[in-house]
Amino acid sequence: MMAVSGPEEIAVIGNTDLTSAELENNIKNTMVEIEKGTSLLRKMEISVGEAEKRTGKNTVNMLEIYTVYLIETRPVDAVTEGITPAPDSLWRRYSEFELLRNYLLVTYPFVVVAPLPEKRAEIVWHKLSADNMDPDFVERRRVGLENFLLRVASHPVLCNDKIFYIFLTEEKGWKEMVYETGFQAKADSRLKAMNAAFRVKNPDKRFTELKHYSDELQTVVSQLLRVRARVADRLYGVYKVHGNYGRIFSEWSAIEKEMGDGLQSAGHHMDAYAASVDDILEEEEHYADQLKEYLFYTEALRAVCRKHELTQFELEMAAQDLASKKQQKEELVTGTVRTFSLKGMTSKLFGQETAEQREAKLQVLAQQIEEGEETVKEKNTESDEFVKTAWVDIERFKDQKDRDLKEALISYAIMQISRCKKGIQLWTNAKECFNKM
Amino acid sequence: MSAGTPKSLASSGQKPIQEICHPLGAEEAATAGVLTPSPDIGNTTGSIGGKDLSLPNGTPVETSSPASSSSLLNRLQLDDDLDGETRDLFVTVDDPKKHVSTMETYITYKVATKTTRVEFDLPEYSVRRRYQDFDWLRTKLEDTQPTHLIPPLPEKFVMKGVVDRFSEEFVETRRKALDKFLKRVADHPVLSFNQHLNAFLSTKDLNKRQGLALLSKMGESVKHVTGGYKLRGRPMEFSVMGDYLDLFTQKLGTIDRIAQRIIKEQSEYLVELQYLVELREYGPLYTTWAASEAELQEPLEGVSGCIANCSSALDELTEDMSEDFLPVLREYVLYIESVKAVLKKRDNIQAEYEAKLEAAAFQKEERPAATQVPADVEKCQDRVECFNADLKSDWDRWQNNKRQDFRQLLTGMADHNIHYYEKCLAAWESVIPLLRDKQPQETETEED
Repeated sequence: MMAVSGPEEIAVIGNTDLTSAELENNIKNTMVEIEKGTSLLRKMEISVGEAEKRTGKNTVNMLEIYTVYLIETRPVDAVTEGITPAPDSLWRRYSEFELLRNYLLVTYPFVVVAPLPEKRAEIVWHKLSADNMDPDFVERRRVGLENFLLRVASHPVLCNDKIFYIFLTEEKGWKEMVYETGFQAKADSRLKAMNAAFRVKNPDKRFTELKHYSDELQTVVSQLLRVRARVADRLYGVYKVHGNYGRIFSEWSAIEKEMGDGLQSAGHHMDAYAASVDDILEEEEHYADQLKEYLFYTEALRAVCRKHELTQFELEMAAQDLASKKQQKEELVTGTVRTFSLKGMTSKLFGQETAEQREAKLQVLAQQIEEGEETVKEKNTESDEFVKTAWVDIERFKDQKDRDLKEALISYAIMQISRCKKGIQLWTNAKECFNKM
Repeated sequence: MSAGTPKSLASSGQKPIQEICHPLGAEEAATAGVLTPSPDIGNTTGSIGGKDLSLPNGTPVETSSPASSSSLLNRLQLDDDLDGETRDLFVTVDDPKKHVSTMETYITYKVATKTTRVEFDLPEYSVRRRYQDFDWLRTKLEDTQPTHLIPPLPEKFVMKGVVDRFSEEFVETRRKALDKFLKRVADHPVLSFNQHLNAFLSTKDLNKRQGLALLSKMGESVKHVTGGYKLRGRPMEFSVMGDYLDLFTQKLGTIDRIAQRIIKEQSEYLVELQYLVELREYGPLYTTWAASEAELQEPLEGVSGCIANCSSALDELTEDMSEDFLPVLREYVLYIESVKAVLKKRDNIQAEYEAKLEAAAFQKEERPAATQVPADVEKCQDRVECFNADLKSDWDRWQNNKRQDFRQLLTGMADHNIHYYEKCLAAWESVIPLLRDKQPQETETEED
């Protein structure tokens, strides 16, 4: 259901370009064997097969029922040789997918990471249950999880991640490996920083626009989803009421002589018409899921914007700090106090420092200034790199979005065409029966 | 209780002059090929309530009476593929026009007639009539032909303020119903020869007050029968008719409710679709980053336009159901009411006859010398038998017309729905190439 970009369209983000500390982890986690920048999908098929129910004890030692999903992988080469060996497989539950995604978010903050399908069913029209155990919901979630894996596997950067690879291939011990990366600590600090209130003086304008865009996209898509659910509700009503014709025609045929047969068979077609809406709306639900993915994608977009703000803020703070240190040095050298400082006040009250004290202070400051300049340089590079890499991924995302939404529209149109054809067929059948009356 | 076998019918010799214009006029009989009565009508003795009804003077009842032949003719005319020869009276109601005068505003319709019947002076007529003229005609037909089933008229009263009496839709719905009414009358082997119909079709100014004062004897006599008698032996076939009509009314009522419900659901669906169409206004158009959204803009517009087209097709469908389907359904309910009324009249006539017969038998017991059946009892018997015969043949014709009418109505409903889906299909199919379109500019620059 998603358009997967071929290898020629992947932007090559060579790991050698990245020098900032933030991205060093990537180098550690990169699979050396896999060619850099190549989509994992060229090497293996990935699918999420079935879903099963399991029972187990949770963290508070209570019995719970949860669903696990079967992840199957198979090397691409094996199939092309004509023999199709059995795929390797393992089971994962939803919370493990969440863990994987959080790890990716923290480790690759410049990437617009694909979202997971809903944890709980929301924005559904009344007939669909919001029950997580409902087989239709579980099925749609399975599709969503598969989609997530395919998105990650086709991402030029994420596909190379070792943790991701092991998620797909080794059931036991994966969780421990993830925690060992220490991403949790980073996640916590990042979470704190993201939620902290701060103001950035000079954000990159493109990111500000991107934030507005993602807000608007979110509004439009959620409205679209809501209206669609209501439309589906109404459509259901229209089709189902026609089922009443089936019943009344049957009753009526009982009191008629010549008209009876025609009426009776027409009634059956009316029943079929009423029943056809169930399949139609189930198919539409898949289309709605495609839209929902992009609704959730807006969160990922906002996360990237926020990360930029954070980086920019840190840069600005570092620069500010450096400027203030330089100023202090200048004041110390020239002996003038331009700005109010506690030091200045105390020196005024308690007398000037000795020449040695001043010299010591100057040395400390010189050191701090040197360090500060390093920091600023680092932060600058970090920020530039982030903007560069993030923007590459945003462009990639934009193209993907345009392709996918267009495909979604086409799917929707095809669905409508199929529905119309079915309607024509059923009513034509009914008409033939009426003609025989 | 009599069995349902077709009975021989009393002679029609007592019928007045006006009723001699009858399907069994010499030329009609020739074209219809009815010269000998068919066997199933030829019962020489009939009985009602187990009592011998043959005339006391021993005259055998005629077998080739007009009423029985009319039912034969009915059967011939009931063929779906009617050849032109058997129909010699064609009527149309169309061309509604609004008339405004100081006193009132009303609509008139053109009533056009083409005929070869000798009862008409000219072969063609064109007159203008308004609803009350049709109403007058129907009343006259009911009065003069009480033993026949008179087709219904569309409803007389409309709530002012709720329905616009002069809107195109209302006038057209009414016109169709009036046209149907007149055609049904013109196709009827007895009603079509009615003098009032003739006047309605031919005279320029219908002077309703004057009216032809001579009612048929039957009309008069039926009119004056009150419901004061208790019916004992209703023939099975009439009970069956009554039961059928009750059940049929129920079914029609249910269908009416279902159709209304569908119209309601479709209207609500339409309202939601409108929101979907309006959503395109919200598109993220306001940020410069989204200038690239232009790529999605066209497809979104295309889909939105498509949904708008489907909406208007649905609107049409709902309108068609309201204008074509429901009125015809309701008209049949009215029709059934008038048929039940005729059945009731028949019951009353029979009840009166039974009562008189009983009284006569009682009298005979007291005066055994009297050998003559009293004249009024004979008259009653005559009336009952004529009524039964007319009603029975009309019933067959009614049933057959009903079958055709409902076949037409339901295939019409199916057609409306098919057309709706065809329109939607065309709209969606036309949008696919728009959605699949690769940007033409890109390919051009590549070629450069």
